[in-house]
Amino acid sequence: MSKLENKPESIREVDVLIVGASLSAAAASKRLVDAGYETVAIERYALPRNKPCSGIISPRGHRFLIENFGPLPREVLHDPTSCRGVTFHFRGMLQMPMDFDHGSTPHLNRRNSDHWAIMRSKVEVHDSTCLIDLEDKGTHVEILARRNGEEVRYRARLVIGADGPNSQVVRSLYPGYRKSIKWFMVKQHLHEIIECPLDPEYFHFWFHPELGYYTWSHERNGRQIVGVGYDAEEKKLSLRHRMTIEYLEKHYGVKLKPTEEREGVVNNFGLSLINRYVFGKGNVIVTGQAAGFLNMIAEGMSCALHSGAIAGEAAVESMRRNSDLQSVYRDTIASEVRRCSDQWNPIKILFDRPHEADFREALSKLQGRDKRKVIVEIFRFLYPWGRYNWGRQILMQAVLRELRGYYSPSRWL
Amino acid sequence: MTELPQSIKNSPDPVPPDSLKGVPRQQTNPSRWNGDGWEAFVAELVSQGITINQGLANRSGYITDGGGIAMGLPRGVLVARSPEDIATTLKAAQKYKVPVSVRGGGLTTEGECISFGALQLDMRGMSNVIHIDETNLTVRTEAGIYWHSLAEALRRRGLDYISAPLNMTSSVGGTLGVGGIDINSPKFGCSADQAIALRVVTPTGEIVECSEQENTELFERVLLGYGQFGVITEATLKIRPFTPITMHYFYYSSLRESVEDLRFLVEEEAADYLGILTMLDRAINLLVAFDSDEKEREFFNKYRKRIKGHGEIGFALHMAAHYALHPWRVKEALYLLERKRSLLPELSPPGHMQEGKIIDRTVVFSRAVWKFWGGKKMIIPDLATSSEKFAEAVEKGNEVCRRYFPHYTLYCVGIKLFGSFESRPRYELSCIPPDAHDFGYGCEFEPMLGNHNYSRDHFQSFKNEIYDIGVDMGTSYYRFGGMMKGYIRRAFGDELVDKHLAMKQKADPAMILNPDVIF
Repeated sequence: MSKLENKPESIREVDVLIVGASLSAAAASKRLVDAGYETVAIERYALPRNKPCSGIISPRGHRFLIENFGPLPREVLHDPTSCRGVTFHFRGMLQMPMDFDHGSTPHLNRRNSDHWAIMRSKVEVHDSTCLIDLEDKGTHVEILARRNGEEVRYRARLVIGADGPNSQVVRSLYPGYRKSIKWFMVKQHLHEIIECPLDPEYFHFWFHPELGYYTWSHERNGRQIVGVGYDAEEKKLSLRHRMTIEYLEKHYGVKLKPTEEREGVVNNFGLSLINRYVFGKGNVIVTGQAAGFLNMIAEGMSCALHSGAIAGEAAVESMRRNSDLQSVYRDTIASEVRRCSDQWNPIKILFDRPHEADFREALSKLQGRDKRKVIVEIFRFLYPWGRYNWGRQILMQAVLRELRGYYSPSRWL
Repeated sequence: MTELPQSIKNSPDPVPPDSLKGVPRQQTNPSRWNGDGWEAFVAELVSQGITINQGLANRSGYITDGGGIAMGLPRGVLVARSPEDIATTLKAAQKYKVPVSVRGGGLTTEGECISFGALQLDMRGMSNVIHIDETNLTVRTEAGIYWHSLAEALRRRGLDYISAPLNMTSSVGGTLGVGGIDINSPKFGCSADQAIALRVVTPTGEIVECSEQENTELFERVLLGYGQFGVITEATLKIRPFTPITMHYFYYSSLRESVEDLRFLVEEEAADYLGILTMLDRAINLLVAFDSDEKEREFFNKYRKRIKGHGEIGFALHMAAHYALHPWRVKEALYLLERKRSLLPELSPPGHMQEGKIIDRTVVFSRAVWKFWGGKKMIIPDLATSSEKFAEAVEKGNEVCRRYFPHYTLYCVGIKLFGSFESRPRYELSCIPPDAHDFGYGCEFEPMLGNHNYSRDHFQSFKNEIYDIGVDMGTSYYRFGGMMKGYIRRAFGDELVDKHLAMKQKADPAMILNPDVIF
């Protein structure tokens, strides 16, 4: 028997239930609350809650925050409050600093920024409320959640899943999905600084296959973050982190005290590369990183905000005009899919400007030998990714994108 | 759940000033009003015999505007019936700090007339024509009237309005507040320049008569004032004898040539009506129309040979040759053919033609606008420029259109100015470009959306790119309020905006009238 079949009498009826209370949920909430729809957002943790994240949001995301939620208060930012750009590091101490197109961009404190945004959306938030299951009845969705050990039930016309990469909404909709995709683990360690010559105004990223798939460092509140990401099955992230610390000390003179604090998160990285987004079915739509949105350098906040807003708009449009939620959402989300997947699209990277920092200009500033070395190093960095068999898919999607002007919706779940 | 600390609610954005260069730290999609004081406000109005409709079914009709992008559900709706009701309401709104958003035809596109959770004042309850003066050629009308209703009343007396927006379901009051551009604006200016006198309810609830002779400052502030300085309840407008019009079309395949010819004809005052409507940037249609046969003859004798536009047959041959050499553009050619086949007959429908003249341009244009350009969403960013900058601005905007949408239209007009910014303070902080002399020009960039759904972000990015051209070139805009208000300081500069903000704060101490439109 489904957990939802045993119904108690008290059920909260709403127009829309949003699962999650992060940036994508805040953006969706903003659209729904503005349009006057009764909306509740449920969040499994008590707010404000921590979120492992670099916090470096893209300029486009910064603008969205200002235009929709107002100027950013100091408390939603870490120190340094902003980041000027990204520096790519390659073996042999080759460096490529790139400033963001529209100037410095905020360094968000996700604990406070997410809380601020969801409160500014004016949605009713039920925190410490964990989704257990949902069932689409065709005319509405029945939702079972748990708060402080007790069952809570909701009945919503529509549900928006904005609950991050390890989405319970996606698991409820597609029970076998979790096992069908690759998972990655990302951990960031915070260290007290003894000496750090890395420029604190930049986010530093290493193209170094032995250190990890995703190796970065930047300063936060007087401490240095050293983060490493790798295949979740490998389970050797601590070792890779140690190797990175040694590498930074040996090559850059970075001297750090032992880890003071660490945060980790599993990641569904890869869906935006190969255009395999998950957008839901029936009266349930999925957005943000739960749907697979992740920009290059794993910046997910900007596309979370924009895709969340689009989910909210699609829900409003569907309810106002009694139109099919899925078709409205899939039509309108196409623009965000283009923006996000273009960032990984080799044709766009070579011949267009899909990022908010100018990679080609930074490359052109290098000497001829260094240019070649950078390209070789990038290919070496990509080599270990071969085992995921994404290369052909990425190329095929890139070619089709050029021919049709869009990414094929037929690959979306 | 922990509430936000007060410091988070109040402190300013501390991200360095080099961030988002030029983009002000300003929320442009307003938050829903929190409702503080609403119950007491409603109770006070009820005690004075004014009922606010708070039923969901009624409020839902006001959820969006003509743009269909911004959404806001009002907490209550008041259909205006008299200036006294509005005055009472605004006095109470000042007392309880309740935002009031005024709506006529609701044809804003950036959410300007939407109420985000507060009071919606619907002016359509005041839509009577009060008096038509056939001797002095003026009409006194309530301001909630649609232009097509006003036209109907005038037509019965053989009279006509002078200039009005092509979309006739806009209201007179709303139009006077923003401009009102017609294809005869090169000759008569914008609709706001046809106003002789107004009755206005100020934000603090005083009912004031104003004109160029009486309460001049208020008159100049309310015209083109984007609803910031008062609610127009009645207007006296100039009118003229009704005349059928003769329309001619000249076709271009070069945007620059067509724009240059438009400028030439406008500045020579060569026709009574002038405008450009394009199908993409391939088939460009210069509309030239006349109120009299004499003016038409003069045009063909004096000006026709000096413009580069083709006649229909010449242009058809030109296009056939172009697509024969570019066969891979067959889809575009078919689109243009279909558009021509369906659109052009609508501009000369048999029921509204007599001896080759359009006898009711109000109906013809209004119908065509809704049929061919209207839809559940209308996205119309624009640039308003001086004569010198116009061609370049149109070309740059056209490039943006090409990147964003497969099909679009450009609509270009000239606007005659009456006097300088000193003699007509109404032109300040308006669509009239600050560097324009004698004539201003405007171009609207309108995607043809059909049934396709695009995200709001896609539209916003498109609009931002168009408006960024304006910032770079130092132009103005027609639609700079609401969601686009982030461009106001960039376009007009802090000094002018602060001057208007100070005037607004003085006139509307609680800042309740049409909030989130400009400030």
